[in-house]
Amino acid sequence: MSSAKTMQAVLEVANLDTSFVTASGEIKALQGVSLHVNKGEILGLVGESGSGKSLTGFSINGLISPPGRVMRGTIRLHGEPVLGRSAEDMRRLRGRRIAMIFQDPMMTLNPVLRIETQMRDALRAHETLSRAEARDRAIAALDEVGIPAPATRLTAYPHQLSGGMRQRVAIAIALLHQPDLIIADEPTTALDVTIQGQILALVQRLCRERGTALIWITHDLAVVAGIADRIAVMYAGRVVEMGPVDAVLDRPAHPYTRGLIDSVPNRNSRGRRLRQIPGRMPALTDLPEGCAFAPRCTHATPACAVMPEMRALSHARAVRCVHPLSEAPG
Amino acid sequence: MKDDGNTPVILRADGLSKRFGGRDDLLTRSLARIGLATPSPLVRAVEDVSFELRRGKVLGVVGESGCGKSTLGRMLAGLLTPSAGRVETATHEAGESFPVQMIFQDPFSSLNPRKRVRDLIGEAPRVHQIVPRADLGDWIADLMQKCGIDPSYQTRFSHEFSGGQRQRIGIARALAVKPELLICDEAVSALDVSIQAQIINLFMDLRDEFGLTYVFISHDLGVVEHISDRIVVMYLGRIVESGPAEQIFDAPAHPYTSALIDGVPRLDRRRQVYAPIKGDIPSPIDPPSGCHFHPRCPMATERCRVEAPKLREIAAGRQAACHLIDDPAF
Ligand SMILES: Nc1ncnc2c1ncn2[C@@H]1O[C@H](COP(=O)(O)OP(=O)(O)OP(=O)(O)O)[C@@H](O)[C@H]1O
Ligand SMILES: Nc1ncnc2c1ncn2[C@@H]1O[C@H](COP(=O)(O)OP(=O)(O)OP(=O)(O)O)[C@@H](O)[C@H]1O
Ligand code: SF4
Ligand SMILES: [Mg+2]
Ligand SMILES: [Mg+2]
Repeated sequence: MSSAKTMQAVLEVANLDTSFVTASGEIKALQGVSLHVNKGEILGLVGESGSGKSLTGFSINGLISPPGRVMRGTIRLHGEPVLGRSAEDMRRLRGRRIAMIFQDPMMTLNPVLRIETQMRDALRAHETLSRAEARDRAIAALDEVGIPAPATRLTAYPHQLSGGMRQRVAIAIALLHQPDLIIADEPTTALDVTIQGQILALVQRLCRERGTALIWITHDLAVVAGIADRIAVMYAGRVVEMGPVDAVLDRPAHPYTRGLIDSVPNRNSRGRRLRQIPGRMPALTDLPEGCAFAPRCTHATPACAVMPEMRALSHARAVRCVHPLSEAPG
Repeated sequence: MKDDGNTPVILRADGLSKRFGGRDDLLTRSLARIGLATPSPLVRAVEDVSFELRRGKVLGVVGESGCGKSTLGRMLAGLLTPSAGRVETATHEAGESFPVQMIFQDPFSSLNPRKRVRDLIGEAPRVHQIVPRADLGDWIADLMQKCGIDPSYQTRFSHEFSGGQRQRIGIARALAVKPELLICDEAVSALDVSIQAQIINLFMDLRDEFGLTYVFISHDLGVVEHISDRIVVMYLGRIVESGPAEQIFDAPAHPYTSALIDGVPRLDRRRQVYAPIKGDIPSPIDPPSGCHFHPRCPMATERCRVEAPKLREIAAGRQAACHLIDDPAF
């Protein structure tokens, strides 16, 4: 894996374990998660519900709170360690250098404050500037995310805006300080395709223009195909496959990735049965020995009862599977 | 679609309309004046919708949020009284069965958490004597089996199941009363693709086995394209285009349909996102003049701003409402 890293890695996560530690024991929610994102690059983080996508985002951003705990691993932003910082230090990092966009924009927005107040507060959290300067910056930011008549929108409360508009405002706030990294957790999942398309195009353009690194979390493979440069596929708390978007989608190496791709309805599946992955993802408290996908996998052999390591298939690709599919390059 | 015109029509919507609010009688106005009521604005949620659906077919209903899909579905299921128009069904009389059933997006809210799975599925057929008492146990076990729920889970409560399993319980429950027509309102929208594929295949199996007919409401055009024989596209409460699924997806006639289809992320569309429609979804309270779509339409002309296009036949079995489509041979 390390061979795929380049000098411009904005974020490097290595061997991250995050658990929920309760009276009845430790639930291992993330195990050995390693990934990196380069400058100006979009990494699509995909996987089924409960696979650990959001927890990965929260762990990077220092938003894991008890009983959750990051147990092991390293997270580096431009080479500097992120883990082990003080809460105050972490707060400075968050918002300024790492920004987050959520599925529900109301995680970012305060329902009882006008947009202008919220944007001014967000600006002043990390910068010293006058009311008038803050207002100008806010208007420019809203304009940039395609909000018509931004000056008049400043006086609105969040509930007076449509869902798509609210998400745009949340994105404008995330971009205020020109962060190095944005973690977007399913920000278009609740939106209509038409509005989703607008937001995807917007985020893609802004990241390209500014060289912002972006992690786009989604369960929708087609969205990742459209927006991402690289893909990381998660299953039961681990990354099971990672590589360039074309390679992974056209020649998946992990049987789970293959199964996911085949179960997406598309133009050519009309009138036919969809291929389905039998069974469902096991609960974290009930993980099998070895590969967690083995009970659902048609390629499984007794050798799969030992957890496979993430292993490189090429300089840019890696897979966690005992029997990677042969269509993938070796 | 192989348009075998000889399968009988099972569902006919004839000029269906539904308006909400708009109470403007003397009492409301007086109360409003002293601050005890707010005169509610008139919402034309569904306006003059007509179509026919043949037995064993799937009608997909698509359109953006708020366009009236659920309102239409609830009228078709008899859960909401139309303000105008009528719904005709050519099913058996209610009594030996409940011929029209609705399946909702959120299986949890529609399942009583204090009831065991056995009762959730078996209560209606028992109370209404749809299944002889002696056969009820087998009937429930068989339905659970068909819907992919382990029959040994009969005594469990619905909260003990995952989202996908609850959706299956909801489907088993709907099937328990021997319906002929299922109205599915975003029935697979909240599910992961691998579970979604299982449920979609289940729907198709049930159609083949029992000749079930579906109205399939969804904002996910990929799923609708996969499953539907015919499509109805709605915009602000009205049908703007309808016809055979292949034709609609391969050669959409209405600019709104084209834009909707172009906006769908696709696995084979890489590092490219489309935002074919500008602007937000307008409010049905204050719809635009002329063609409701004109403010967002890339092809709008002066005529579109002032005159509402009529929905008319543009080819056999195919309708559209757009001024640009003047040639009936289109
Ligand atoms: N407070 C908690 N206590 C115990 N387990 C938790 C807690 N929070 C999350 N988990 C578990 O951690 C796992 C990963 O959750 P996460 O939210 O990261 O999944 P996800 O991939 O983002 O799923 P989704 O697509 O549904 O958002 C899940 O199995 C979840 O049940
Ligand atoms: N009981 C009600 N009272 C007032 N307005 C209503 C009511 N039910 C629905 N509406 C309005 O009618 C319109 C159509 O709503 P409907 O729920 O049918 O849309 P939809 O197409 O199902 O949207 P979505 O994709 O968001 O589910 C909306 O503007 C909605 O706000
Ligand atoms: S390791 Fe084995 S069980 Fe796991 S995905 Fe690969 S082949 Fe299947
Ligand atoms: Mg999540
Ligand atoms: Mg609805």
